[in-house]
Amino acid sequence: MFNLENFVKNTIKELKGTIRGKAVIALSGGVDSTTAAVLVSKAIGKNLRCLFVNTGLVRDEDLENIDWLKDNTELNIEIIDASEEFFKALRGVIDPEEKRKIIGELFIRVFERNAEDAKYLIQGTIAPDWIETGSGIRDKIKTHHNVGIPLDVKFQIVEPLRDLYKDEVRKLSQYLGLPESIYGRQPFPGPGLAIRVLGEVTPKKVDIVRRATAILNQEIGRAYPNFEEKPWQYFTVLLPVRSVGVRGDKRAYGYVIAIRMVQSVDGMTAAFFKPDFRLLDKIGTRITNEISEVNRVVYDITNKPPGTIEWE
Amino acid sequence: MKVYVIDNGGQWTHREYRVLKYLNVDAKIVPNTVVIDELQDVDALILSGGAPSIANEIYKLGNLGEIVNEFSGPILGICVGHQFLAVHFGGVAGRAKIPEYGPAEITVLREHPLFAGFSRKFIGWESHNDEVKSAPGFTLLASSENCKYQAMAHGKRPIFGVQFHPEVEHTENGVKLFENFLRFVKA
Repeated sequence: MFNLENFVKNTIKELKGTIRGKAVIALSGGVDSTTAAVLVSKAIGKNLRCLFVNTGLVRDEDLENIDWLKDNTELNIEIIDASEEFFKALRGVIDPEEKRKIIGELFIRVFERNAEDAKYLIQGTIAPDWIETGSGIRDKIKTHHNVGIPLDVKFQIVEPLRDLYKDEVRKLSQYLGLPESIYGRQPFPGPGLAIRVLGEVTPKKVDIVRRATAILNQEIGRAYPNFEEKPWQYFTVLLPVRSVGVRGDKRAYGYVIAIRMVQSVDGMTAAFFKPDFRLLDKIGTRITNEISEVNRVVYDITNKPPGTIEWE
Repeated sequence: MKVYVIDNGGQWTHREYRVLKYLNVDAKIVPNTVVIDELQDVDALILSGGAPSIANEIYKLGNLGEIVNEFSGPILGICVGHQFLAVHFGGVAGRAKIPEYGPAEITVLREHPLFAGFSRKFIGWESHNDEVKSAPGFTLLASSENCKYQAMAHGKRPIFGVQFHPEVEHTENGVKLFENFLRFVKA
């Protein structure tokens, strides 16, 4: 089995040996980066600066969560608003790989600008990130932003969790004393909502997917109050097509939202989640009633493989 | 026990490593260009899956041929590793008529220690474009509706191939298949 005690002991020892001086971590507040931050702070204490970059592509809950971490942990957290810069860089970009690369590169530049004193960049990279990014004989499935780092980066990269999968990081997170509101958080990709808006990313479209996500989260929270019953991951995707509908006897021509919910352990294989139809009914009705831009909701019944969990 | 995973670039190579690690095996991932001298004290080998096409990219499979010829312990080939074993022993592998991705119902055709503890039908997860067409010297152990060679065992040596992926969480009894395979390691 996964021996947490040894892992923590050995990793802290290794980190103490590797890191000399100041380090900065890309903290999103998700399970991976928060766990990495706590682990590294145990090794180097106040020499760790935690930077949260608001890309404008995060969910409401991510901002609330980072405030919670600021108030309730010892971590030394700074928040940087770079949302305008991210939207500007993404203007006119449609290709999913290009989106991922632009966001990954911009992330690094923001860090370089804001952490000139740091020699090391800590990342919460886990196994699926580098596996799917590929290299050599391993095919690239998609570039995970924490792996597709520009070559001229001035930091030395440290990835203490790179051998672990999500379920293992959750156990580690719990072992380090983090609450369920952290270890139970769903995976959320580095490029954020940019890859859940298919096609060009605009603040308006991100806002639609953000509102749809909030509805989905509420309904899932109501239907499955316990962490163990919830789907492993659930989210909404805004498709780049519109379809015809009828609202109050009037023709409507609106966007399509796809609901994705999967059951998985490690994110490397996933089965689409089979909820009660009444739950889907509730979600579909609420999204089409409460979001005027959306008049159709579809449910994704694809497994991984052949789909990936995220659409881009 | 020491087991090496020979990496053919699969999405699930590291999953094989994880399953072995959880079985308290001393496991390590090595590239398929590893030379046989580095496998001296290794007890068993897993040949991972990977993106290379068996029909026209066999050169990407490094030293697998020499490794299979020289290594005397148990070998388990998965996906392209399985297809390679068929070809290496004189069989044929190529484009699948109907490829499989995700769950497939697999039927165990005969009793064999590799499937000890399995029910006759189980769900195995798949991700393959190619398949084994013929495998002389091997006994067919399991099939699915769209793929005949889901599992096979060599007639003389402890060499096995599976087209499905026992290393992923969604395959039923996948870990058991690894345990069964590891029993072929001589104490």
